[in-house]
Amino acid sequence: MTHDTSSQKPNPNQRSDAEHLPSQQEHYGASIDHDEEAVVIVGSGAGGGTLAYELTAKGIPCVVLEAGPYLMPEDYENDEWASFKQMAWLDGRTSSGPYRVARDWPRLPAWVVKAVGGSTTHWSGATPRFRAHEFRTRTYYGDIEGANLLDWPITLEELAPYYDRAERAIGSTHRHGRPPLPANNNYKVFANGAEKIGYRFYATGPYGTNAEPYDGRPASIQDGFNFQGDKSTAKWNTAVREIPRAIKTGKCDLRCTSQAVQVTHDAGGRVNAVLYVDKAGALHRQAAKVVCVAGNSIESPRLLLMSASALHPDGLANSSGQVGRNYMRHLTGSVYARFDEPVHMYRGETMAGIIADEARQDTSRGFVGGYYLETLSLGPAFLAAFVDPGLWGPEFTEVMDAYANTAGMWIVGEDLPQQTNRVTLNSAVRDQWGLPAADVWFQDHANDVAMRNHGYGRADLLYEAVGAVGVHHTPPYPATHNLGTCRLSERPEDGVADRWGQAHDVPGLFISDGSQMTTGGAANPSLTIVALAIRQAEFIADQLGKGAL
Amino acid sequence: MPDPTPAPIDADSRRNLVRLLRVAYPHPRFPDGPYERTADAIIGQVDDSLWQRLVLSEGLTSLDARATADGQDSFVDLDDETALGLLRKLEDSEFFRFIRSVAVVTLYDDAEVHQLLGYEGPSFEQGGYLHRGFDDLDWLPNPRIEEYHGPEHLIEVAPDDEPTHASTQA
Ligand SMILES: Cc1cc2nc3c(=O)[nH]c(=O)nc-3n(C[C@H](O)[C@H](O)[C@H](O)COP(=O)(O)OP(=O)(O)OC[C@H]3O[C@@H](n4cnc5c(N)ncnc54)[C@H](O)[C@@H]3O)c2cc1C
Repeated sequence: MTHDTSSQKPNPNQRSDAEHLPSQQEHYGASIDHDEEAVVIVGSGAGGGTLAYELTAKGIPCVVLEAGPYLMPEDYENDEWASFKQMAWLDGRTSSGPYRVARDWPRLPAWVVKAVGGSTTHWSGATPRFRAHEFRTRTYYGDIEGANLLDWPITLEELAPYYDRAERAIGSTHRHGRPPLPANNNYKVFANGAEKIGYRFYATGPYGTNAEPYDGRPASIQDGFNFQGDKSTAKWNTAVREIPRAIKTGKCDLRCTSQAVQVTHDAGGRVNAVLYVDKAGALHRQAAKVVCVAGNSIESPRLLLMSASALHPDGLANSSGQVGRNYMRHLTGSVYARFDEPVHMYRGETMAGIIADEARQDTSRGFVGGYYLETLSLGPAFLAAFVDPGLWGPEFTEVMDAYANTAGMWIVGEDLPQQTNRVTLNSAVRDQWGLPAADVWFQDHANDVAMRNHGYGRADLLYEAVGAVGVHHTPPYPATHNLGTCRLSERPEDGVADRWGQAHDVPGLFISDGSQMTTGGAANPSLTIVALAIRQAEFIADQLGKGAL
Repeated sequence: MPDPTPAPIDADSRRNLVRLLRVAYPHPRFPDGPYERTADAIIGQVDDSLWQRLVLSEGLTSLDARATADGQDSFVDLDDETALGLLRKLEDSEFFRFIRSVAVVTLYDDAEVHQLLGYEGPSFEQGGYLHRGFDDLDWLPNPRIEEYHGPEHLIEVAPDDEPTHASTQA
């Protein structure tokens, strides 16, 4: 049983459960013997961190292997590049294919975190749910050339109770009695523009940062550094909630700077251990009866591909050939608008502004699927790097000079799964352990391009309606949303895992992160990843209880 | 064995680099300090790489040769427009790309530049912006922050996009 924390009395002086833990140790919590067949969870982010808490709270011992260190709130930095160097995943990786990221960021296909908490340390907090039809895109969107659409093996109705629990865990504003965050300056521009062009479904959330003290963490102080970890802990992430609570159960053995490098199986094909490298590069073996892979959608397929065996010559759990394929990164595009008056967009909660009016299926717009518009702000350091990589000269400095008078937003929408958009092993590039790096090959589908252009156009109208004197369209940058490379499917031949996230062809192996998403929806993914993890934890506990796993 | 080290970046070359940065990233409001710091960061980066040292030192010296072709004694004597035009021709060179890659992450990662652009930097220690202007924009009305509860409904699937039986079977 998990306890409902929403009834706890708020204590504004308390920072978070993590506050009592020492920083950057290699080990926290219980000590589980290497030969004990435990539940082994790879990764401690949205998926893995949630699973660790939900399982240990039910009394099930878990070993959590996390490649990065455990940074504490006091370690987080109010500085964009310093924070990036502190927590981003910078180990060998490559991007390739026709998309612009391959040219601008050949070694950085994704902007994700290598630390306890995973990318929820960086995340900003937007928590919309999927819509019902987004679980059934093959049915609703039809057979689109070049796309590899598939209906999810589960429906919104089945996931709804877990969405409720995920929103309570995260403390989403506007949900379950949680109040909205106030309007910051960037939102004032955004919402006024929205109203002017006829949008109705805008608000400052739902957003995973406290507007008032909740769940033992304080209210937002609007410091504008939630991408950098949020030192105040008003923002939910698994490093300040799920992981410390898992440790407190006495059932969680968290091994930091421990990178899983192979998942092995027994003669019968059941998963039986995880091999991992510690900080010093020494290889260890942890016996396992269940392995949950939650390394985010680039590392999870990489790990399975590195786990090829005689039984699984193309990579573990890859009988379908779908491991690594159907990589999605969400539409992504940003728009920065300049005004005659000051905005100071960087003050306050970065993404506490969401417009849902375009998040619908209406092909009269010229594309299938939908998108959200969300406020976005970068400091000058990141804006310079991301606003239009390679741009220089007066066209560039015009954008930078207007910084104080600039408002920004992000376009986040559903991109279509394509078989050829794919994570593979790049044996020409090795990581610090000599292991093949992941390569991400990506090309926009024509539908993605049409949707992005529609989004740019709507953003221009919105900002012009409140007096913008100039707008700049920022192209997609390294992916913050990485999805779909080990997708769920009803039939084993269509995907990697079943309706519970258990691999179709490897008993005891679960996919527990964003890579299980059959399609991406328009919504930011973390709420869905957390809901799926809570649901999966229930299934695993039930099956362990019955002796079925 | 002869020493293959190219000549260190001398004062003239550094002067060219500072000038180049100002032309490539023109901010009339900025004093020389940020450009000089960025130039030094670029020069500091080449210490570990013979290739980058060769590229940078040759590139900076040859700017003067290009300027002579334009009828001036040296690169720093060119007016802004001529200098910009010269750089545009070098845009795709290894030399210019290297400078750009360091400059864009250095020039704007500078406390003085932040101040000049109107960005206030670290804020947590000062209690965030909760009482320091996170909502001080006053040239627009205060918008609604709650979700919409009016008479309109968001239509998740347009009527024409409801799947027909036929397409469900397809
Ligand atoms: C700047 C930014 C802003 C974002 N904003 C939002 C938002 O507003 N709303 C939203 O819904 N989402 C947002 N996201 C996305 C969100 O953070 C991710 O979708 C989510 O965290 C993914 O969860 P995950 O479990 O798949 O992976 P992660 O949370 O990334 O966790 C993966 C973890 O696994 C570890 N790992 C990987 N490989 C191994 C290995 N082999 N061995 C051991 N450990 C390993 C990694 O170090 C990492 O800690 C944002 C992301 C970023 C970067």
